Amino acid sequence: MTNIFSIDWYFISLLFFIGLSCILISKNMFKQLIGLEIMSKACLLAVILSGAATNNVNLAQAIAISMILIEAIVITVGLSILIKIYKTTGSLDLRKLL
Amino acid sequence: MTISLLAYLLIPLFSAVLIQFTSRYKKNLADIIANITLFAGFLNISHLIFNTAKTAKFSLPPMAQDTFTLLMIFMIYMVALAVSSFSSGFLTEEKNRHHFHSLILVSVSAMCGIVTAGDFFTLYIFVEALAITSLALIAFDKSKKGLKGAIKYFFLNFSGSLFILLAMAILLFTIGTFSFAGIQHLTDPAYGGHWPFQVVAAIILLLSGFLIKSGIFPFHIQTVAAKQGAYSPVSAFMAGTVTKIAGVYAVIKIAIIFNFFDLKLHEISETLMLIGAISILFGAAFAMRQKDFKKMLAYSSISQTGYIILAAGLATPLALLGAIFHIFNHASFKTILFLNEAGLKKNLNTSDMEKMGGLARSMPWTSWSFVIAFMSAAGLPPLSGFWSKFIIIIALWQGGAKGYAMMAIGASVLTLIHFIILQRKVFFGKISAIAKNAQEMPLPMLAPIIVLCIVILVSGILFPYFYACLIETGIKAIL
Amino acid sequence: MTYHLALFILIIILALAAVMAKNMLFSALILSLVSVGVSLILFTFASPWAAVFELSVCAGLITALFISVINLMPKEKKLLNESRLKFTLLPVVLLIMAVISWIYIVPFFEYLSKHPHLSIHNYPLGQIIWKDRVFDLIGQICIFAAGVFAIKSLFARSINEQKSHKSQVTGHKF
Repeated sequence: MTNIFSIDWYFISLLFFIGLSCILISKNMFKQLIGLEIMSKACLLAVILSGAATNNVNLAQAIAISMILIEAIVITVGLSILIKIYKTTGSLDLRKLL
Repeated sequence: MTISLLAYLLIPLFSAVLIQFTSRYKKNLADIIANITLFAGFLNISHLIFNTAKTAKFSLPPMAQDTFTLLMIFMIYMVALAVSSFSSGFLTEEKNRHHFHSLILVSVSAMCGIVTAGDFFTLYIFVEALAITSLALIAFDKSKKGLKGAIKYFFLNFSGSLFILLAMAILLFTIGTFSFAGIQHLTDPAYGGHWPFQVVAAIILLLSGFLIKSGIFPFHIQTVAAKQGAYSPVSAFMAGTVTKIAGVYAVIKIAIIFNFFDLKLHEISETLMLIGAISILFGAAFAMRQKDFKKMLAYSSISQTGYIILAAGLATPLALLGAIFHIFNHASFKTILFLNEAGLKKNLNTSDMEKMGGLARSMPWTSWSFVIAFMSAAGLPPLSGFWSKFIIIIALWQGGAKGYAMMAIGASVLTLIHFIILQRKVFFGKISAIAKNAQEMPLPMLAPIIVLCIVILVSGILFPYFYACLIETGIKAIL
Repeated sequence: MTYHLALFILIIILALAAVMAKNMLFSALILSLVSVGVSLILFTFASPWAAVFELSVCAGLITALFISVINLMPKEKKLLNESRLKFTLLPVVLLIMAVISWIYIVPFFEYLSKHPHLSIHNYPLGQIIWKDRVFDLIGQICIFAAGVFAIKSLFARSINEQKSHKSQVTGHKF
């Protein structure tokens, strides 16, 4: 019988892979930000899962709360750079910035 | 962690907020507040670094303190003070100077947080804070190049930090802790001293995250683009401290706490050494080919970072000592080089090396400080850069990596050659058209450069004394 | 347990949809659904605080930010015109990845969960936040200040922009 945690890790690794491939494939900055969000969701799940598996949920929760706040600030800064670039170049395409 | 170290973190943060409220209309006040804060901190840390016993005994839980930390805080304050003092002369036309100084102060506080962090999560928080501030500093002049550098920096850095988080989760899952002390506790031979391969996977993820941030060979695109796009003092700040503290410091810390040398992690340590060696050669070779002054310095910085990574990969106590010292030396000489470049650019409005020439006559101080800095970078004997490279090469030789040792010497010669070419093109040789109208930099810009030159000379000549005083007492304890 | 796994499969499908979507608005909305799914999974792990934060911050605040940015763009920019081939290939690649990681990742973590780890006292959440991890709170203050100053400096007007703005205004006058 496979352990439930290993199956969860399997799904988390797939989620992380989706986010990473979105950052690598897409040339649109907005799409890349969404990829970043998906990756950080995978990390959040991984931390909570590890906490649950080692009977240490409260430490994992304390970390997860900080992670969510940091994620919000990072995305805000990223969006503000995106607006700035949109104002200067009139496009969100990374290739047009080069 | 003592209460006095916490002050190095909190006071710049407070000053940054203060600047925002006081200096909106009086721009010079921002210069004054930032410089006073950093100067006071610098004096304080240079007193503390020789009197480590005097620190108080108050501590917050997830923090660490040793001589490595103190040396890094000293370096951070030194470079930040130089950059902030230089930019109060450099950015005279910039209307948003108060934002610039606020960002510098916040990143100083974030870097102090990084070097005092006691576990990977705290390290991660401060690394993110540092990445945000340096992002804003890169995009500060709002040119297209700066924005391009910033967006590249954003995506590479924050995906790197997610690798770190994933590695942290695996560590929590496997060994139940991610604090430095806990991991070091587990490396004791009494606990078996042998990692399962999942921990090895976590170490690989951690290292790849931090190597992305340090801007070494496979990930050099972001640092080169960022340094090219940003204002020149910002490039000095980035090359001198930010990439070193965010990336390379953490790599050395990982090498120390996972005990790369004693345990059976030699595959990772050899891979790290290979990456370091490749980036030494790559950086030196690409620096030879550049026409642009700043781009050349950026590639040379990659080469110098390679030495540190090479030594961290070997991870004998002597090599780690050399790596730590080389971080410090690299900060001092690379800051001088970038600040000189900034001074030239402000004077001449170009950073194309072909157009310069014969500047030594009109800008003697700039020229000779440049000579001192590049001699230290190439590792010529009386200067401080010599000692750290010497230690690294001896450690490589003792550790059995004789090929790498020979290569390090060869690359050092290559560094010397490309800096001599640059010196001849820019400062000596025929007097070009733009050199006739060039003037020496004003005093607030020149002062930090001269002070850093004195630091290089003094720490080079008095090196044996420092070695005895600082290293024997402190760094031996952490290894 | 089936509920738990079904949620995981659901968020993977939703994430794939968010990545492959043509419309930015659609993509952002799907992302908020992914957040809701993640917070439901966090509830099943008996970590209600993290779940509530995830629900309010990620599904609420960040989605609002995304949508307000999208509304700044004109209508024709909201569609993403880039080559679709890579995106249509993505599910295939993901399927291959899924097979490979079923072979490698599951046994990997299977072995891992048997490995002995440090014995841990599961202290209450408040004690961990306010006693064991105080330094993290300082770090959060620091990152908050960093974010505020970064945004302020990004949107502050520089000299170059001001000059061009002035010349535009004067050009308009005469």
